[in-house]
Amino acid sequence: MLKTVLKRILQCIPTLFIVMTFTFILTRMIPGNPAATILGPQASAADIAAMEVKLGLDLPKWQQYINYIVDVLQLDFGTSYMYNQPVLDLIAERIPNTLQISLVALVVALILGVGAGMFSALHQYSVLDYVLMILALVGVSIPIFWLGLMLVNVFSVELGWLPPLGRGSLENGLWDVVSHMILPCACLCTIPMATFARITRSSMLEVIHNDSIKALRARGISETSVIWKHALKNALPPIVTVLGLQIASCFTGAILTETIFSWPGMGTMIVNAITNRDYMLIQGVVLFFALVFVLVNLLVDMIYMLINPRVSYEGGDKK
Amino acid sequence: MKKKLLSLLLVGAMSLCMLAGCGGDDQKDPAANAGDVAASNGTLTVSLSSSAAKLDPIHYSGTYESQIIQQICDRLVEYNDTMDDYVPSLATSWSVSPDGVTYVFQIRQGVHFQNTQYAQGREMTAEDVAYSLNRSAQYSDNNRLSMLDKAEVTGDWEVTCTLKGANASFLTALTDAGNSVIAKEEVEGWGDNFGYNLSGTGPFYMEKFELDEQAVLVANDEYWLGEPALDKLVFKFITDSNQAANALLTGAVDIATSLSGEAINTVDKAENVELLKIEDLKINYVRFNSQQGPTADIRVRQALAAAVDFDAVRKALYRYDEVKAGYLPLPYGSWGYDASLEALAPTYDVDKAKQLLADAGYADGFEITINVSNTEERKTLATMLQGYWAEIGVTAKVAVNEWGTFSDTVCSGQSDVYAMSWSWYPDPYFFLNKLFSSEETTAIGNGAGYVNDYVDEMLTKAFETTDIAERADYYGKAMEQAMKDCVGIYYANPYGMYGINGRVQDFVARADGRLRFIVSEDGNTVSRNVSVVD
Repeated sequence: MLKTVLKRILQCIPTLFIVMTFTFILTRMIPGNPAATILGPQASAADIAAMEVKLGLDLPKWQQYINYIVDVLQLDFGTSYMYNQPVLDLIAERIPNTLQISLVALVVALILGVGAGMFSALHQYSVLDYVLMILALVGVSIPIFWLGLMLVNVFSVELGWLPPLGRGSLENGLWDVVSHMILPCACLCTIPMATFARITRSSMLEVIHNDSIKALRARGISETSVIWKHALKNALPPIVTVLGLQIASCFTGAILTETIFSWPGMGTMIVNAITNRDYMLIQGVVLFFALVFVLVNLLVDMIYMLINPRVSYEGGDKK
Repeated sequence: MKKKLLSLLLVGAMSLCMLAGCGGDDQKDPAANAGDVAASNGTLTVSLSSSAAKLDPIHYSGTYESQIIQQICDRLVEYNDTMDDYVPSLATSWSVSPDGVTYVFQIRQGVHFQNTQYAQGREMTAEDVAYSLNRSAQYSDNNRLSMLDKAEVTGDWEVTCTLKGANASFLTALTDAGNSVIAKEEVEGWGDNFGYNLSGTGPFYMEKFELDEQAVLVANDEYWLGEPALDKLVFKFITDSNQAANALLTGAVDIATSLSGEAINTVDKAENVELLKIEDLKINYVRFNSQQGPTADIRVRQALAAAVDFDAVRKALYRYDEVKAGYLPLPYGSWGYDASLEALAPTYDVDKAKQLLADAGYADGFEITINVSNTEERKTLATMLQGYWAEIGVTAKVAVNEWGTFSDTVCSGQSDVYAMSWSWYPDPYFFLNKLFSSEETTAIGNGAGYVNDYVDEMLTKAFETTDIAERADYYGKAMEQAMKDCVGIYYANPYGMYGINGRVQDFVARADGRLRFIVSEDGNTVSRNVSVVD
């Protein structure tokens, strides 16, 4: 297992290198000059040229690329043009904010989504099954931007129960923090909750119609034990796959949700970075996202091995 | 039965959570809760439409950043609320040499820096003023004081500024947040982080600056002009205009700035909040290339201008009454605005347009490209122009690009027709020189390549004299000629849209968009001190 993990980690290196290269090329391909964007419409050509020199954008592209790679190898991810702060510091500052809402949303989505999915599977073709699956369909299809604004309209503007945006402060009590999290979390958990519900239902249905489950029932094992101990365990792999992707998304932040609720997380930062053509920040953040996805995938694979010992990534090593 | 009940409960919980999120288990009284959200006593919360990041005066680029800087720092002079006169601030008086090159400022005594880490509340001196101005002249990213050669201390409380040449826009430039007075030891002490720890002599000092979230400022009780009536001033960065309106309606902010689209409607219809609008120092226009292509012929430009019904264009583009019809290459709020020139603006007359094209030898039309940046407003405008010009036989292609590419195309003089807006100070120099001077043909202002010796002469004369009436006269003449030459159509003067709730007292929306909370009209006594009442 340790050997597999080490092997997989080594395999990540070329992936990250490819991501770095592609991000570098793509950022340079986006139309727009960061210097002109930073200085605004009134800037003269001379101001823009001076700013380009300051940002190192006057150098040939290949030289910029080599400088970037050399810096990254020394763990220097550059300084954001826009914030004038090291990219790593900015990421470290935003991650907790993003996790604050995304992890809560994920836990809620997981509990309610898997619960609803299991219920639907066990009551297939019942009225409630249809209702839940229609709700799940609505959940995955609903535009988040619209949902966010509607939630604010109802719960903040009309009812006055919850704050419309921003992040609370512990100085004003715990409720201030919690109340500011409710609407963004509601927005964030909708799609994962619906996805979990649908994937759990289909996976459970497949499992509970298996001969092995029928055999367990025939042996007189209690229904609770059949469902929770045997069926759910066998239905887990696809759920874990989705969970892995969702965990990775937790770190990347939710661009729309964070923008609507003025939540200072990774999502708002990447939007600002792209809008301002902040090459260094875009490159740093994308590389970070890639790293998170690669590591979470690795983690998911490890969990697969634990929940299903038949899965092996050792390949041809086993004879 | 038990199972059914459980099922129902589960579905009920699911539905609720889908709608209300992670359990709207709200134990609190709604009214009390809304109160939690609203600002506490003495705190005024303002929404800004973009996230401020660079607060070092020499590095700032957006208005949203200058809004914060100008609360923390002061400048030598300010514009009054009506934008037609200068008001002494850190300079108590000033004199200008007859050649317009040397400005001597008497510096206010007894002004103290805020009690921050390095300046520690010490008294501001003439050295600080000279240091700040020289720093801006040399290092400002946007060259906000490029006309200054040097600032020197010439007396205990006197600073002499020598310009590179006569430049009547100098005092206006001094009102810019980028030319604020700061303490050298703060700049050197904080280094690259100075912007995040900005300090000065202003009415508020920085308590907390959280990127992409908020800037929390606290009243400077020792402020030289008087104590601000507000205890706290919070700037919240809310990029979505609809959310800014929602925040206003819930009391999470007291003043919402830069409202646009449906948010205007929301605020306008809501009770307990007021929609304030003022003509911004901004114009929207369409310019024609006067150097090359068919539009180099004045008759073609006149034909294109006459072929468009700009009343209809405004109605289509601005559903929420966001603009006032414009005619001149100057906004209404500028002291150089001359209403008598409005008659020179083109009028809609398709027959005349066709005739002019025929006279110019283009009876069968021609092909041109309209360049616009990638915003809905500009794209719709370009499409409408395309339609109008098709009626007189002109085939227009619309090229939509993001700002950088659009700007490069216009600056290089490669655009046949382009649409954009221009916004700056109330001094006409910042509009007319930029839009019509032959020296600006490689910049985006005069990307149309307009060159006219008479206009250049008038602009130079206006530049060299400091008498406002005389300058207004020269600018009027320059505008008259430029409008006769029909290099552009200046069709709209946008309003600055603010939503404000009833607890805010004494707030004035200014044409330059500056939010000022403690104001003097004479430089000595407070004439306006914004407060909140609950």
